[in-house]
Amino acid sequence: MATTDEELVARSRGGDLDSFNQLVLRWERPIYALAYRVIGREEEARDVAQETFLRAFRALGGFKGQAKFSSWLYRITLNLCRDWMRRERRTPVAQAPEGIDIIDLAGAGEAVESIEDVVSRRQVGRAVERAMALLPEEQRTAIIMKEYHGLTFQEIADLLDCPLSTVKTRLYQGLSVLRKQLEHDGVEGRF
Amino acid sequence: MCDKELLVGYLYDEIDYAERRALESHLAACTGCRDELAALRGTRRHLAAWAPPESQLDFQIVSGAAKPARTWRSYRSPVWAFAAAAVLVLAAAAAIANVEVRYGTDGLMVRTGWARPAPSAPSQVADSAAPAITPAEWSATVAALDRRLQELETSQSSPGAMTQIAASGPRVSDAEVLRRVRELLSESETRQNRELALRIRQLATEFDAQRRVDLATIQQGLQGATAAEAATHRQLWDLTQGLYRVSQQSK
Repeated sequence: MATTDEELVARSRGGDLDSFNQLVLRWERPIYALAYRVIGREEEARDVAQETFLRAFRALGGFKGQAKFSSWLYRITLNLCRDWMRRERRTPVAQAPEGIDIIDLAGAGEAVESIEDVVSRRQVGRAVERAMALLPEEQRTAIIMKEYHGLTFQEIADLLDCPLSTVKTRLYQGLSVLRKQLEHDGVEGRF
Repeated sequence: MCDKELLVGYLYDEIDYAERRALESHLAACTGCRDELAALRGTRRHLAAWAPPESQLDFQIVSGAAKPARTWRSYRSPVWAFAAAAVLVLAAAAAIANVEVRYGTDGLMVRTGWARPAPSAPSQVADSAAPAITPAEWSATVAALDRRLQELETSQSSPGAMTQIAASGPRVSDAEVLRRVRELLSESETRQNRELALRIRQLATEFDAQRRVDLATIQQGLQGATAAEAATHRQLWDLTQGLYRVSQQSK
């Protein structure tokens, strides 16, 4: 049975560096994904993810387990993303589409997914990325936390320090805007 | 009714039994809400297509990381340090060999050797705008470079021999020169060994990072498969619910 986050946190607080690095290994991808989806830049997202773990490591003594470790990491990440956006005074950037590598696509495709499907999925993915970049930060964050990190409404409300009903409203409004934008881009109706 | 918060709760299946019953009754009668729910579900499916670019993440907190650990950017070799070291070695060697460089109307002239004194009279320099670099200047340059290198290099080296050579003036015997050259060679060998060890360590680190990335990719793949299975179940459940409603209505 896999060791829980809480157990690893307890060991890390006792000075076990390996345990903390297990947490890093476990959470580095979700944290990077969160940072990327919020700020839209790969390199900066990597920096934010790295800084998140450094800050978590330094502040581990102050983490009393009142929230889940993952929620704590998410909070640090979102704060860092906010700092970055404030510093850069910019909205997230949808990265320019890179060239489509057929070998890469072939490798990425699942057994039941054709190359055409993979290409189509990537195009939809880019359209989603562009549409998400247009959303206000609070709506975007609520959607990211719900759709890609599976948080409950209550967990999102705690994370963003807002009422439960606000989370639902942000989700509804954000999804509605996305839907219209995707329709505009000719994406709705595919799949 | 058309309660959007309730609709969102239903969309994400975070709704209690009574609310669900109430909403389903409403949906059966309200085409607008039904269409909206279907559209929102479609949008959610599209959202699943957005994945961040694959990125190599091999973060690791290392011992003594009270200061920020070396980032993935700084793991690369400090080229400036090697360049400075190379210049320093060349300069030191030039100082030992009593190199004299002149540039005049008759072209570039490089002369080495300890047997004769280095000419110092300015009149012998054809172009006074480009004076010869004397051993004393070489020594000063070497000393400056050495100080700079010591500032830059993080690792503790022992530049004592080189510094001593650089500062020791040009008048030494051939045996002394040989001894110093041997010292330089020995130091160079030590440095090469250190660089080799560094490269081996970097290779080991990269290999380990790749292994962890591969493991994470496999884990992600497994999670993706699980998510796809869950989505299929959800769709089946929705379909069953739809069929059930239709059958109820037809009754």
